[in-house]
Amino acid sequence: MANMRVLQPRRKGHFWTTESKLAFLFLLPATIYLLAFMIYPILNVIIMSTYQTSKMAKMLKFTGFTNYWNLFQRKDFWQVMLRSIYWTGLAVAVKTVFGMVIALLLNVKYTGRKVARTLIIIPWASSIPISSLLWTWVYHPEFGLLNYTLKVTGIWKNPPVWLGAPASAFFSVIWVDIWIGIPFMTLVFLAGMQSISQDLYEAAEVDGANALKRFIYVTLPGLRDVLLIATLLSTLWTFNDFNTIYIITEGGPANSTHILITYIYENTFHFLKWNYGAVMAVITFIILSIIAWIYSRVYFRRET
Amino acid sequence: MKKKRVIKPVVIVWTVIVVCFLLFPFFVMISTMLKPGSEVYVSPPYWIPKKIALSNFIEMWTQHPFARFFLNSFIIAAGTTILTTVLCVPAAYAVSRFRFFGQKLLLYMYLVVQMFSPIIVVIALFKIISRLHMLDTYLGLILVNTVFTLSFVTWMLAGYFKSIPVDIEEAALIDGCTRVQTILKIMIPIAAPGLVTTTIYSFIASWNEFMFALTLVQSVKKSPLTLGLYNFVGRYTTQWEFLTAAAFLAIIPIIVLFLLIEKELVAGIVGGAVKG
Repeated sequence: MANMRVLQPRRKGHFWTTESKLAFLFLLPATIYLLAFMIYPILNVIIMSTYQTSKMAKMLKFTGFTNYWNLFQRKDFWQVMLRSIYWTGLAVAVKTVFGMVIALLLNVKYTGRKVARTLIIIPWASSIPISSLLWTWVYHPEFGLLNYTLKVTGIWKNPPVWLGAPASAFFSVIWVDIWIGIPFMTLVFLAGMQSISQDLYEAAEVDGANALKRFIYVTLPGLRDVLLIATLLSTLWTFNDFNTIYIITEGGPANSTHILITYIYENTFHFLKWNYGAVMAVITFIILSIIAWIYSRVYFRRET
Repeated sequence: MKKKRVIKPVVIVWTVIVVCFLLFPFFVMISTMLKPGSEVYVSPPYWIPKKIALSNFIEMWTQHPFARFFLNSFIIAAGTTILTTVLCVPAAYAVSRFRFFGQKLLLYMYLVVQMFSPIIVVIALFKIISRLHMLDTYLGLILVNTVFTLSFVTWMLAGYFKSIPVDIEEAALIDGCTRVQTILKIMIPIAAPGLVTTTIYSFIASWNEFMFALTLVQSVKKSPLTLGLYNFVGRYTTQWEFLTAAAFLAIIPIIVLFLLIEKELVAGIVGGAVKG
C-alpha cells in the first residue's frame, strides 16, 4: 500500500495536484476527440430532431415535438419498430441455443478439437460486409450453390427464391446475422464451461445425476453471469446490425426486411428526410443507452 | 468410462457437420473463384470446377480497380490504427495509474460509448465532414473510424497497464525517470503484447467498416474494399468469379489477424464474467 501513495496521491483539499494535472493532460486528446465526434454529433441529432429540415440537411424552423408526433402516426414506423424487436429477439435466441450446443460439443476432449474451434470462429472473424456479399451469391436462385445442394441432397426438393419474397428474404437475412453471431456465443460459453470446477461434475455423477441433469444443475448455474453478459451484448449487436440487411436486401422486397437502423439510413440518405432520420436516431440512442447501462452495471459488478 | 467411448465419435461427427454448415459460404467462395467465367453462370451449377482458372486473380487485379480498393483499405486502416494508438496510450495510462476527479464517470462514458451504433452519429458526422470539406478523402474516413475504435482500445489498454505492478514504474521514477520516460521505456515495452492486440483490433475494425464509407466516400478512387466490392455487385452485371477472388484475398489476412487476438478480445468484451 505504501507504493500506491507515491503514484496515486489523494490528499484531501488538493484537487489540482501535479498528478491530476498530468492525468488531465493525458486524457485531454482522447476526450476532446470523443466530445467532438461523438457527444457533439449526438447533441446535434437531438436538436435536429426538433427542426424542420431541407433536403440539404439545413435546419429550417424549430417545431418542437412535431416530428415525433408525425412519426408516431406513421404505420411504417411501428412496423419497423416491431420488426426490430422480433428480429433481435429471434436472432439472439437462436444464437444462444446454437452457441450453447456447439460449446457443449467443443467441451469434449479429443484430438483436433482446437482445429474445430478455430474453424468455428471464422464466420465471426471474417469481414461482415464481405461475408454478406458472399451470401447474396450463395442465395442466388439460378447459379447459387445453396439451392443446388439442397436439391441434390434431397433436403429440400423445391427451395424458394430466397431473396425474392418477403418471408423468405427475412429468414435469409436474419440467418446471416445469426451465422455471424454464433461464434462469439460459442467462445464465451466454452470459456465459461471450462472455468466450472470438474469436482462439481464428479460430485453430481456420484449422486447419480445423468448428463441432462448435470447440464441443468451444474453447467447452467455456472454459466449464469456469462449467459447474462453474452446475451446482453448480442442483443446490442443484433439490434445494431446494419451491414447484413443493407447489403443483402437493402430493406426490400417491399420494405419487408427493414429494421430501425436500416430505416434510419434510408430515410436520411435516400429520401433525404433528415428530421425523421434524426428522430429515429434519438429513439435508437435511448434504447441503446438503456441496454448499455444494464451491461455496464453487470460489467462493473464483476470488476470490483 | 464405457459411456464416454460412445460419446466421443458422436461428438466428432456432429462437430464436423457443424463446421461444414458454418463454413458453407466460404466453400462456395472457393468453388466460384477457381472457375472460369463460362463455368460460373451455368444452371444447374456444380461444386468442382472442370478447369481451374487462377487467371481470375490476375484479371481481377489488373482489369478491375480491386488493387486500388486494397490500397485504400490499407491506408485508411493504417491511419485509423495510428491515430487510435496515439490518442489512447496516454488516456489509458491516465485511467489506469492516476486517481482524479470524475474518473468513474469517464470510465463509464468510455464503456457506454463503445456500444453505440454508428447510425446515431452518422447523420451529424456527415454534416461535420462535409463542412470540413473532407468528403471523399482518406482523412475524413480515418477521423470517423477512430471514433469507434477509441473507446474500446482505451478500455483494453487500461486493463493491460493496470496489470503491470506499480513497483517497477516507481523504481524508475525514483531513479530519476520522468513520467513520460517511464511510459515510453517501461510501460509500453511491458504492455507490448496488449498493444499488439489493440493495434490489430483497430486495423480489423477499420478494414471491415462499411456504413461510414458508404456515406462519406463517393468515388471509386477513394473506395475501401467493403464499399468497392459492394458497388461492384451493384453497378456491373456482377462477375462473381472476380468478386469471390477479391473477397478471398480481402478476408484471409483479416481472419488470420483476428485469430491471433481472439482470446484477448473475448476477455476484454466480457470482463470478469468468465473468470467468475
